[in-house]
Amino acid sequence: MKRKVKEWLEDGTVDLFLGYRMNCGHPLPHCFTKEEIDDVEHLLVSRTRYSLEKIATHLAKRDPELKIGLLARDCNQRAINVLTIWHQLDKDKIFALNVNCCPSPIKPQADCSYMSGEQTSSYKVQVGIDNLMDIEKADDFSDQEKNVRWMYEFQKCLKCYGCRNICPVCFCAECTLEHKDLIGPGRLPPQIPIFHLVRAAHMAGRCIDCGLCEDACPMDIPLRLLYRKVGEIVKNVFDYNTGESSEQSPLSLLGEKVSLSLKPM
Amino acid sequence: MKCTFVPSICSYCGTGCGVLFETIDGKLISTIPMKSHPVSGGKLCIKGWNLHEHINSPMRLKKPLVKTFGRFINTSWDEAIQITADRFKDIIEKYGPDSIGVLVSAKMSNEENYLAQKLARAVFGTNNVDHCARL
Ligand code: SF4
Ligand code: SF4
Ligand code: SF4
Ligand code: SF4
Repeated sequence: MKRKVKEWLEDGTVDLFLGYRMNCGHPLPHCFTKEEIDDVEHLLVSRTRYSLEKIATHLAKRDPELKIGLLARDCNQRAINVLTIWHQLDKDKIFALNVNCCPSPIKPQADCSYMSGEQTSSYKVQVGIDNLMDIEKADDFSDQEKNVRWMYEFQKCLKCYGCRNICPVCFCAECTLEHKDLIGPGRLPPQIPIFHLVRAAHMAGRCIDCGLCEDACPMDIPLRLLYRKVGEIVKNVFDYNTGESSEQSPLSLLGEKVSLSLKPM
Repeated sequence: MKCTFVPSICSYCGTGCGVLFETIDGKLISTIPMKSHPVSGGKLCIKGWNLHEHINSPMRLKKPLVKTFGRFINTSWDEAIQITADRFKDIIEKYGPDSIGVLVSAKMSNEENYLAQKLARAVFGTNNVDHCARL
């Protein structure tokens, strides 16, 4: 891995490389360059995950010609796909070095913050939504119970915007969640459930299920599960696999054309 | 192009969440929560998320201003400090040292807060030191 990065930097395949290294005792993102090539020795794949591709979009915005290399887990790779589809990154200028990732039966070894799932408190399991639940289980509640449980989760919201800020595929110049006519300012909790449902609707065909939003939510709201459900609907109804497909999602409302073609029955 | 990630502590309140400042070519671009930080574990409140904004804000005061005849006028640091010291001296002479109070803040470091109380106690001669959270 280190050899490859050095090679890329030296032969000019990439101008810089985003990875991780220890800094002040923490595994933190680091930008490796040709000028400081010896630093590549410190490159590591850390258990902590940051959205390196989001940082890449910041760099690309400043210099569209910049060739950026980055360490990519499966989730980073999916996010890169979505970002290139939506023209936030140029796929000829992004070089992903794939690394071992999320746990699954075919991947016994994995480095990922998701490996150590914390157990949900019993109170939350009783009145709210267990973050570790799968979609089917969450769908089993009656409509009324679903409403009560999800509203319990939503009313905890601090409106920190962390879920949006950290999300690799949230890149809008103006965010609906800050539109004063839709989400009234100066209220806590924000207007619920509209705040969360607006975001959920936007994540249809965009969310690549990296889970960073839920990681960043100080109130432990099961956002990943919510967006998974939305993603499942997009998959079932439109046959669209977010993060894998090479086309924009059928729910693309940007631009001239609106294409809502249903999955052939 | 140079991009760095500088670990730091949020200065907005006493919790002390861990943040990471993303800079590109020396300009602060965004604040990222530090995932492995023992206090905050990768979470921030809205203040922490927006730390970079007040640094880049055009509203930020970068030069000392002195209010003269109702208007703020640019001045040098030396002059501003001299004027402040003279005014403090006047007030203390007229009304006694307890007519002055010092407000410190969680947005300052421990060392700065220490220096502020030292200034209040040893220089002004007052124990009127309080915190902005009790304003
Ligand atoms: S899981 Fe959360 S952070 Fe990740 S892409 Fe989906 S909405 Fe964004
Ligand atoms: S996708 Fe929605 S939530 Fe995300 S930045 Fe855009 S408007 Fe905001
Ligand atoms: S991260 Fe959690 S608390 Fe913050 S705005 Fe999103 S849902 Fe609300
Ligand atoms: S992020 Fe919020 S809670 Fe954390 S130190 Fe800053 S102001 Fe305090």
